[in-house]
Amino acid sequence: MTLVRISLKLGRTGLVAMTALGVVTGVLNALAFVQIAGATPAERLAFAQSMEILGTQLSYMLPIPEHLDTLAGYLQWRAFGFIVLILGIWAVISSTGSGRGDEERGLVEQWLAAGTSRARYIATRVLVFSLAALFAIAATMALTYVAGKGAGEPLPVGGIAAMGVDLLVTTLVCFGIGLVVAQLMTTRRAAGFGAAGLVVALFLINGASRTSDVGPIRWLSPFYLYERSKPLTHDGALEPSAVAALVIAALVLITFAVAAFVRRDLGGTALPPTSRTSRPTTAPSRDPLLRIPVVALLRQQWLWIATWTLGITAVSAFLASIVKTIIDTLMSSSVPFMRAYFERAGLSGYDTFVGAIWLSTLMLILSAYAIVQVQGWSADDAEGRLATILSAPVSRARVILERLVALLVAVGIICAAAGIVVYRVATSQSIELDASKLALATGLVVAIPFAFGAIGQLLAVWRPRIALVLLSMIAVVSYFLLQFTPLFEWPEWVANLSLYSLYGMPMSGEVNWSGIAGLIGVGVVGTIGALVAVQRRDVGA
Amino acid sequence: MTEAIQTQGLTKDYGRGRGIFDLDLTVTDGEVFGFLGPNGAGKTTTIRQLMGLIHPTRGSARIFGLDCDRDSVAVKRSVGYCPGELPQFGGWRGSEIVSYIAGLRGDVEDASIKALAERLDLDLGRKYREYSHGNKQKLALVLAFMQRPRLVILDEPTTGLDPLVQQEFYRIVRDTRAAGSTLFVSSHVLSEVEHICDRVAIVREGRLVTVSRLHELVGMRAFHVEIEFADGVPTEQLRSVQGLEQLRVDDHRASAMLRGSFEPLMSALSGRRVVGLTSREPSLEEIFLTYYAAKR
Repeated sequence: MTLVRISLKLGRTGLVAMTALGVVTGVLNALAFVQIAGATPAERLAFAQSMEILGTQLSYMLPIPEHLDTLAGYLQWRAFGFIVLILGIWAVISSTGSGRGDEERGLVEQWLAAGTSRARYIATRVLVFSLAALFAIAATMALTYVAGKGAGEPLPVGGIAAMGVDLLVTTLVCFGIGLVVAQLMTTRRAAGFGAAGLVVALFLINGASRTSDVGPIRWLSPFYLYERSKPLTHDGALEPSAVAALVIAALVLITFAVAAFVRRDLGGTALPPTSRTSRPTTAPSRDPLLRIPVVALLRQQWLWIATWTLGITAVSAFLASIVKTIIDTLMSSSVPFMRAYFERAGLSGYDTFVGAIWLSTLMLILSAYAIVQVQGWSADDAEGRLATILSAPVSRARVILERLVALLVAVGIICAAAGIVVYRVATSQSIELDASKLALATGLVVAIPFAFGAIGQLLAVWRPRIALVLLSMIAVVSYFLLQFTPLFEWPEWVANLSLYSLYGMPMSGEVNWSGIAGLIGVGVVGTIGALVAVQRRDVGA
Repeated sequence: MTEAIQTQGLTKDYGRGRGIFDLDLTVTDGEVFGFLGPNGAGKTTTIRQLMGLIHPTRGSARIFGLDCDRDSVAVKRSVGYCPGELPQFGGWRGSEIVSYIAGLRGDVEDASIKALAERLDLDLGRKYREYSHGNKQKLALVLAFMQRPRLVILDEPTTGLDPLVQQEFYRIVRDTRAAGSTLFVSSHVLSEVEHICDRVAIVREGRLVTVSRLHELVGMRAFHVEIEFADGVPTEQLRSVQGLEQLRVDDHRASAMLRGSFEPLMSALSGRRVVGLTSREPSLEEIFLTYYAAKR
């Protein structure tokens, strides 16, 4: 029972965050549908047509839509079509934490030394995550049902329950994937990235299978199996073979991981040991970059920065490549809703769409990058690196400022690479982009991670344990405020509460200099706050 | 003689009696100063205040005349530090860590790093996560000594080191002192500070108990001895041995705490058929308990 209690405690942040995200996604999408889909059958039909066109273009990310004139169909497509990936990522974070992270921290050794068997330890962690996932999904489904009923569009009880079952078994498969990968890697970081990369790849395989023939490989994707059932639009019916395959996959993966954990050495992997490649030395590294302020931080993270740069440029290239097709389809459709929406947003030419689609995505991704950096800064303190750095003649202010400058340089590199790729892809698609405008808009995006990084510094110094959660909440709330204010016709000041609204839409109009100044102001205030707070706090206490 | 370290009423109060209270201490330039106390006595809290990592609740600490809190950057130009709790550097190689910290310090010669790593038999080519606890401790010692500082502050520096490396560490301490540096070494093991220190301060439950020269601590030194006799235990003879306290007799075995020299005990045992004799150094808390109980 103690192990169960401790396991629950270790996973409570993820559970709370995932439950909140699931509930917000389900409830807000339910309320948004009622708001935007219209009331008459004709309005609903027009809405469904426009969304289906959009859905076809987004088929790499969301399921092929059906019955979009109903709340059930809309939620199945828009909410539950994507949240399954979020649940999968949560499962991977949790499983690599249980399967490797706690081992790195020495907790597993303590438990095993206390007489807990390996099988019992890992089985308890699986059980606790299963209960947590059940809770998060049940809360999401229940509150989404309540929201639908409250909005006058009751969802089928059987359908929503079956949807929950489908989500749960898919989440458990992702947990199993993470647990297996954790047995093959020596660090949580490597296991987390490896497993998350695998889950995203399986998600993309399913995405590709929606529009083209990818062969039998699609059966390897749990997301493909997940989508075989459409319980919300098919009277709560689950596809038995697909659900059975998911259950079997989860059982096989978890059993394999448990067996590997029981047999392998603590701190080792289930793979055969490899011989050491490094040569013994007593000399310090000759790399001069490690001794230059700021550059040393970038040098330590070069692989990390390169990975983000590659990922973001790939996403940017993809977005730029589909802009023309999406816009041609939507603008030529007979549905006036979308055209009016775009006109209101000031979107007229391809270039402005590139700005709207790409830059809004870039803002979100760069916020995530800044948040991950903040998590690293909090860890520097918790893991004693900050105390080691401060035992050199280095001021606390220098640490804060160096971190921020390194963040901005890294973000600058990412933005420059992504901007160049977007320009080249767009021009290859015969989209005429104003290079100087694009460069300016891309450069100004840096203000977003600057603001997040500065607030994050303040939080990492002031309350390091909640920095990650609070900053993620700011990002999520900012995103939702921007998305839902026009839908619910909230006053403009509500949208202005979003940090992202300060950036504006520089590709489709004038640069919102006051907003940019506001973002920089947030960054400066956060930095000053962090500089003051870091002087006052005890390090390593 | 100038003062390397001076604290006046230095206090860090964590509440419920935890922390360090009203510490008045002076460490002279060029000496090796031991800071002795059981676990939880406030040694690390004191050292972190000296390093400017935590702020005092009241009082002050100065190193070479500079305030440790206000002038911490200037203070650390003259100080090398080995923490009690080792940091985590994950996948970094030892060579990268020393280069990075050397870059931050700016006054470190590569030859100095190499010499230390060789003396401590530390392979800097390996990743930090692959290091054993002892190797991590060696790396922390390299980081503390590599810039040849005027003052080295070491928080329980021999934790995890094997006896051979401990001996090399003692030699490094002596060499560093011979080069004119001051060393401030915390420990909870009396015999360790006896190896290297000129003077010792003893703290207990957050308060300074005494500051003594090493020879003044001889009366405090104690061993727990167990003797097994072939015949019966000569109880009366043992009771008369100078420095032998807390005698317990169980069948053919006798156990006691021996303070001071072994000579009176060995004389008392001559002519007796002793089957076995073991002695171990008791924990500092055990020494304190018997020492202060005896003084009262």
